[in-house]
Amino acid sequence: MSKIFDSDFLNKLEYLSLISRRVFRGQLMAQRRTMQLGGGIEFADHREYTPGDDFRYLDWNLYARHDELLLKRFQEEEDLHVYILLDCSHSMEFGKPAKFDLARQVAAALSYIALADLDRVAVVAFADRVIQDFPLMRGKARILSLMKFLEDLKPTGSATNLTELVTSFIHRPQRRGLAVVISDLYDPNGFQRGLDILRHHRYEPNVIQLYDPAESEPGFLGDIELQDIESGNIRKLTVTEKNIKEYKQIFENFLESVRNYCSSYGSSCTVSHTQIPFDELLLGMIRQAGTVR
Amino acid sequence: MNFTNPTSWMWAALAIPIVIFYILKIRLRRVPVSTVMFWHQIFEEKQPRSIWQKLRHLLSLLLQLAFLMLLTIALTDPFFDWEIREVRRLVVVVDNSGSMRALVDDEDTRLDEAKDETLAIIDSLRPRDEMAIVAAGTQPRVVCGLTGHQRTLKDALGTIDVTDGPTRIKEAIELTRRLISDHENGKAVIVSDGSFENSEELVQADDIVWLPIGEESDNIAITQFQVRRSLVDPVGYQILVEVRNFADEPAETRLELELAGNVVDVIPLKLEADGRWFQVFEKTSPDGGELLAKLEAEDTLPMDNVARAILPERKKQPVLLVSEGNVFLERVFQACPLVEMAFRNDPPSKVPAGGVVAYHKKIPNPLPDGDLIIVQPENATDLWNIGDTIENPIVAKQDKDSPLMSFVRLDNVLMPEARRLTIKGEHAVLAQSLTDDPIYMSIERPNGRVVVLTVNLDQGDLPLRTAFPIMVSNALSWFARNQGELRESFATGAVAEIDLNDQLPASLLGSESLELELHSPDGRKRPLALRNGTTTIGPLDRCGLWRVAYRDFTVTVPDKEEPPLVMVDEVACNLTNPDESDLRPAIEPPEDAETLAAGLGGRPVWFYLIVLAFCLIGTEWFLYQRRFIS
Repeated sequence: MSKIFDSDFLNKLEYLSLISRRVFRGQLMAQRRTMQLGGGIEFADHREYTPGDDFRYLDWNLYARHDELLLKRFQEEEDLHVYILLDCSHSMEFGKPAKFDLARQVAAALSYIALADLDRVAVVAFADRVIQDFPLMRGKARILSLMKFLEDLKPTGSATNLTELVTSFIHRPQRRGLAVVISDLYDPNGFQRGLDILRHHRYEPNVIQLYDPAESEPGFLGDIELQDIESGNIRKLTVTEKNIKEYKQIFENFLESVRNYCSSYGSSCTVSHTQIPFDELLLGMIRQAGTVR
Repeated sequence: MNFTNPTSWMWAALAIPIVIFYILKIRLRRVPVSTVMFWHQIFEEKQPRSIWQKLRHLLSLLLQLAFLMLLTIALTDPFFDWEIREVRRLVVVVDNSGSMRALVDDEDTRLDEAKDETLAIIDSLRPRDEMAIVAAGTQPRVVCGLTGHQRTLKDALGTIDVTDGPTRIKEAIELTRRLISDHENGKAVIVSDGSFENSEELVQADDIVWLPIGEESDNIAITQFQVRRSLVDPVGYQILVEVRNFADEPAETRLELELAGNVVDVIPLKLEADGRWFQVFEKTSPDGGELLAKLEAEDTLPMDNVARAILPERKKQPVLLVSEGNVFLERVFQACPLVEMAFRNDPPSKVPAGGVVAYHKKIPNPLPDGDLIIVQPENATDLWNIGDTIENPIVAKQDKDSPLMSFVRLDNVLMPEARRLTIKGEHAVLAQSLTDDPIYMSIERPNGRVVVLTVNLDQGDLPLRTAFPIMVSNALSWFARNQGELRESFATGAVAEIDLNDQLPASLLGSESLELELHSPDGRKRPLALRNGTTTIGPLDRCGLWRVAYRDFTVTVPDKEEPPLVMVDEVACNLTNPDESDLRPAIEPPEDAETLAAGLGGRPVWFYLIVLAFCLIGTEWFLYQRRFIS
């Protein structure tokens, strides 16, 4: 049993799955009705009969009353495609516990919930580009292989580049669906463009932003060498109380900008620090989603 | 400049580790962060000024090294030559006598003002100056020896409490001069209101600086107060009172006398400017206790408006007359106001405690223990042999000095008959005839006193003379041993010797377990030593009643740790000191008061060096370290 996916984790997965079913009563992610009409069981409307149609779908009651041959049409049910975009840049290994650990737990949990609802799930690990893929799959039985995939992931690459990732992601031959971005969003070029592209290509972006408390409240003062663990760049600084105050304000503004972006485009957004366990984080998401609906 | 402790220069070596730490410090601490994009936003807006950036660490090092050097120099205790040449030795005499209780305003007394003046002197002390404090009230004492430590001097000054005693200025100045010794810059400073004798003469001394305290204030005071039992009247007593007006204006007041809480007399007084009123009152009362004299005067020194004295109580004296019947003797004893009279025909088995037995004619042989009056003896006893009768004895000689013969003259008394006695032991002849035969005599025995009158009372006119009751009254007073005829009221500052032989139980006299205590009017107590039945108390530094008492260890009281206190004697103490009561200034402010002021705030060089060092380190902290403190 791995460190991040222990037995306790698995128990919590089942619990979260039950909670999500109770909250959404079959409306979470998959089990969504598409506008495509077909072989479902739920009645949609009628159309005129044309030769060659299947007689089984003729509405004989209407024919008896109105002497018209009308064909019953049914709404077809379709499973949802969930794409989890997991940030594997070096900035994610910052903090205690590392943001990357929590991100993988959240990715696994979301995947389990989706698979349990008969949806299809794919995981894309990225940094400045796509690092590794776990292809679309269906069925709860695949969760163990997914967890193995997540467990084997290591932070790699240089700085986060969401635009680069999304650009390559949307050109894949695949159905549209839910795109869950799990990242700290420390993209020097900005996170907005990447999410914009996703939206423009009719993906439904959901953002889970993770940060470490040490990032929101730096615990150092004085003369220091600041080392960027993504780029390795070093900068000599004299950090004063005033600088710390300014930093906190900028960081808070950054978090606020993520929330505002998602709010303005109706995307789901969860911002959390790493001291919150994954199950609480997901419960918060489930409750939030339930309330919104 | 010289250094007291040059070896402290070795502390300068600490500069080496400071420089090492400085070099280590400029190797900055590396802090990994997940991204620097937020820090870029802060620091790209504010580019550091390059010159300051280059010099700031060096300046920090220089400030730290300067801090170390200042501390090191301070440790060497540097001083200037003039400090040694001009070092002073001050001895401040603080007057804490009774007059210093006078109020200068609603709250503060003259002593408070004197302390403030002394504090100013302490604050003006220069480094290496020495100062001592002497208290001059009641009993001069060195409150604080020579020291330059201001805190010690201030603490010692705070312990000086005002006394009710007189100013012992001469003794204090002697003490002061001994402390100054032959110091070149020695100076005595007298902080006083000048209410003492010869103050003007003492002002002239070259080695004394005067700091006068207080302002002129009118005062009326009781300057004498004594009471004593009358020598004539067994229940009478005499009060001596003197009241003086220490003011340049006439004054009116009322003097009230109280005995044990009961008003005895109220006397309205009109006093001239600087006037003096003096009177002796004759009063009667067998009661004793505290006699209080109070002046109705609202002045700045209330202490001398009250005086106390102890009036001894006259106790009833049991007298047993053993006689077959003599009306003269019966009547003469009954006429004495303090006698409890009883009659018997036959001799008692023993004399009642504290009483007197008077035998008429038939005298028991041997005589019983106790005090006895023998009148007209007809038989011999163990003290005398009986002789024949003396016809018409004329008193030719009488002992005028004996208290038994006070106010008694027997030379004209007609006495047809008396009995000739031959006394066996030592005796005092109080009256004797022309033939040298004793007619009236006294005998002191270890087991009691005896008075013998050989005159036949049935004949002659002695019982009809006024001398007869006086003789009996004198005898009874002699038997009563004249206790407490005069219980002197002492002036504050006095040292008194008290005889406790009669007050203490015989079993405790000379006992090592006796713990005698003196209780002052303000509740303090101090142990007393008893020697040959007497003890010495004083100097008495508080007005009021001082009590001598002992702990009775033979009695245990539940729930109390200490055995009960048994009071033995009381002593009254009053200010009664015209010099202390005169609150008008006797001395003028000195012209050389400026000699007490010292320069530079009275701090040594090392103090300023340390202050400067901490200013530097404070600057360094403000510039470099403050930001590290959240």
